[in-house]
Amino acid sequence: MKDRLRSVLARLDADYVDVRFEENQKTTIRYEGKDLRQIASYETSGGHVRAYANGGKAIASFSKVEDVAPIAESACSSARLVSKHRGTKLRLAAAPVLSDDVLLHPRRDPRTISLAEKHALVDGYNRLVLEHPMVVMSVCEYDEFASRRVFVNTEGTAIAYDLVIANVAGLIVTRSGNVVQRVRFAYGGSDEFGRLVGREDELRERVETACRLAEAEPAKAGVFPVVLDPDEAGVFIHEAFGHLSEADGLQGNPTFRERLPLGKRLGREILNVSDDPGLLEHPGGYVIDDEGVRGVKTTLIGEGVLRGRLHSRETAAEFDEPLSGNMRAVDHQFTPIVRMSNILIEPGRSTFDEMVSSIENGYYLVGAKGGQTSGDQFSFGAQWGYRIEDGRLGPMVRDINMSGELFATLKQISMVGDDLTFGERGGCGKGGGGPMQLNRKSGKGAPHVKIDAVTVGGVA
Amino acid sequence: MNGLLTAARSKVDQAEMYWARRRRIDVLYRDYTLDRVSLDDLSSVSLRVIDDGRLGVSFGVTPDQREMIDQAKAAAAHGGRSVFDLAPAAEVADVDSFSDESSRLRSEDIVKLCEGIKELVQRRRPDISLMITARVEATTLAVETTQGACGEHRRTVTSVAFGAPVKGAGTGVYKAVSSVQPLDVPEALIEEFLEWYSWTETVSVPATGRLPVILSPEASFLFALPLCAGISGDAVARKTSPVFDRVGEIVVGDALTVRDEPLLAGSPFSRPFDDEGVPCTPRTLVEKGVLRGLLADRFSGAKLGTGSTGNGHKRELFRSGTEVPVHPWPTHLVIDPGEGTLAEMVASTENGVLLYSGMGFHSGNYPQGQFAVQGVGFHVLDGKVVGRLEGTMVAGSIYQDFLDVAVSGERREVDGLGGPVLAPYLRVGGLQVAGRP
Repeated sequence: MKDRLRSVLARLDADYVDVRFEENQKTTIRYEGKDLRQIASYETSGGHVRAYANGGKAIASFSKVEDVAPIAESACSSARLVSKHRGTKLRLAAAPVLSDDVLLHPRRDPRTISLAEKHALVDGYNRLVLEHPMVVMSVCEYDEFASRRVFVNTEGTAIAYDLVIANVAGLIVTRSGNVVQRVRFAYGGSDEFGRLVGREDELRERVETACRLAEAEPAKAGVFPVVLDPDEAGVFIHEAFGHLSEADGLQGNPTFRERLPLGKRLGREILNVSDDPGLLEHPGGYVIDDEGVRGVKTTLIGEGVLRGRLHSRETAAEFDEPLSGNMRAVDHQFTPIVRMSNILIEPGRSTFDEMVSSIENGYYLVGAKGGQTSGDQFSFGAQWGYRIEDGRLGPMVRDINMSGELFATLKQISMVGDDLTFGERGGCGKGGGGPMQLNRKSGKGAPHVKIDAVTVGGVA
Repeated sequence: MNGLLTAARSKVDQAEMYWARRRRIDVLYRDYTLDRVSLDDLSSVSLRVIDDGRLGVSFGVTPDQREMIDQAKAAAAHGGRSVFDLAPAAEVADVDSFSDESSRLRSEDIVKLCEGIKELVQRRRPDISLMITARVEATTLAVETTQGACGEHRRTVTSVAFGAPVKGAGTGVYKAVSSVQPLDVPEALIEEFLEWYSWTETVSVPATGRLPVILSPEASFLFALPLCAGISGDAVARKTSPVFDRVGEIVVGDALTVRDEPLLAGSPFSRPFDDEGVPCTPRTLVEKGVLRGLLADRFSGAKLGTGSTGNGHKRELFRSGTEVPVHPWPTHLVIDPGEGTLAEMVASTENGVLLYSGMGFHSGNYPQGQFAVQGVGFHVLDGKVVGRLEGTMVAGSIYQDFLDVAVSGERREVDGLGGPVLAPYLRVGGLQVAGRP
């Protein structure tokens, strides 16, 4: 495949062209309640071309490898069209030429496990959830994605690399009277199948939580001090800050770019944030990104000060900042965009008890329920929470969201816990000017964090 | 019959082929500068089978991949008991959603459209960072079963979205339009964008309380998605829907009539058949506030005993496409217009909010009809828009709060979160707004 792609690139008239061709194996097993709604194990393939010509850029996705030559030629032609309408020419930062393949060999490789064993695993977890009389609905899903990618560019890089990730995840839906609540669970998030098995006790505990939640009172709206658990804090740093560290989001947004110069103080000295693709055991781990650049750990916030950013070769050249290896595409239908790998709040020195005891009237938010960000505005939900009254945890609450403005909120982070924990399921949606890409390989980690004031949205 | 199905017939009891072919040109401008052209030529196939009473599925790139049959059969060996048969032969409506002229558009034509928009906006607002995405897409969808269903639908969609981030803030103002035919520069929409953008230049946050809220067509998903989750045959069959037993009862205000209109002439979102090959038909879902209809695919239709309503679509909240399982979903949701204009709604609002989006919707309990989002929009005071919102949460329940609702005569087609909706402005009497203490 490398030779075939190289021979196509050799005939093109352009400043730079790369081609990524991938063969993907996928397995999905999805229960909804008692019903096994989908079971599938299959292979797909396809490719993607990026062409730069005279400082203009064009991209193209295709399904059949025999189409790569005409598609690549069309991309070069469109890149020349773009160059005619651009004053500033696009450039790429220099990157090392790579030739060593990076293939994965996990101990219990999900690709070698039978469909029968995977099915039995999911079936067992789903039955466990449905055993409880308060559970009215479940979703339990096995999701495995294994991608063998060949990447070749006109600078001489020619490599093959693997991405493998397997998860069991789902929803527990409980009812008490007219109140219906949903709590999530997720196991795995790496290339190791062994992490998916033997999680029954944790799942039982999660079912009990979902049952208690259906009997909880809703949260009250207002501005409160809050403690975020590691899951919720991970989503906060991913959604509220992490997306702003992706340099492609700042391209074409000069006013925002001016607000984020390296060296700017964003928080107190206790706040340290990094992005680390080298943590291969977590969902966002990888060795080489989808434009043939090695992923490296990047310090984003050091002692409260903005220290770094996540880049593509194009944004690194434009910003005159170091390469970070964060260009990634979900699959061949998409062009790579700048994405976080494993973003984390580095551990601090506070304990959870110290945080709770410092709050007279507030909330403890637990379990990420998804979030959304637009520039410096963020909003995300917690799966459940607790009142904090007079320095002690109070009753459980449901239907709790928080929102705010990033820069004000980062300054309100007054305590960082000593208990760094990573979530086992990734997941991030980003368009980057194109179609939405839902990325499984996106990790988040954090300790408990205290924020002195944040807007809590509840229905009460 | 496609060769894939002919081959499948000798190995499994029933089979269904879904084959989508898509050619697309996308053009992206950032900060008034052409950033890139994107060209896609993609094909994808789903093969769903029933073998020995069990369901299995496989996917591939083109129907000549006969290995999909063995993969789907192997999956079916572990699959769930099928409660339905694959779609039989049926008459489907003739829906004209294809334009030869659109299908022949080139990158240069799309760039020219964008240059026209750029010129009009830049002349008036050179200080903002205009972003434009424009697209032409020609798709051919074929769905065929061994039980006799057989449909092929071609469509073209040309679309353009443009807008700009608000200076010094995280939000932006964006407008979009789509058509089967090639688009002209949308001058009226540009005027509306410029007016709305001018409203963002000051911040005004209402005090926390229960306030009237106007939802623009772009924000109609705050109503439409909880409603569709509630009338989904899946949720009704499982009795997890808050309205599972309320057909014939008032569930929202009598100003609201909601229909699924899959056959509207000239709409790029019209479809003659769903993703299971079942004919799509116009249906009333809510009539003057009374729940009249549910959405069912073949699975939930069998569970409910109603059969499919032609609403089986490969769609979920954030994704759609060949590899997404079929779920009950409207094909083209339409909210009937009422009377009056947005300007009149604003003028009659003493202290309230105008929303054109809401952040964090998916983290709320929307299947139960609830939402709690960071409001993206404007504060309305004494009948005028006085500034953009910041840090303001808006929460409510469509089954409680939307009993008091007014509907404008103006409406617009939007293709947003959850699919296409032809929606008017909705003015809700009161929602919980958390703003200034």
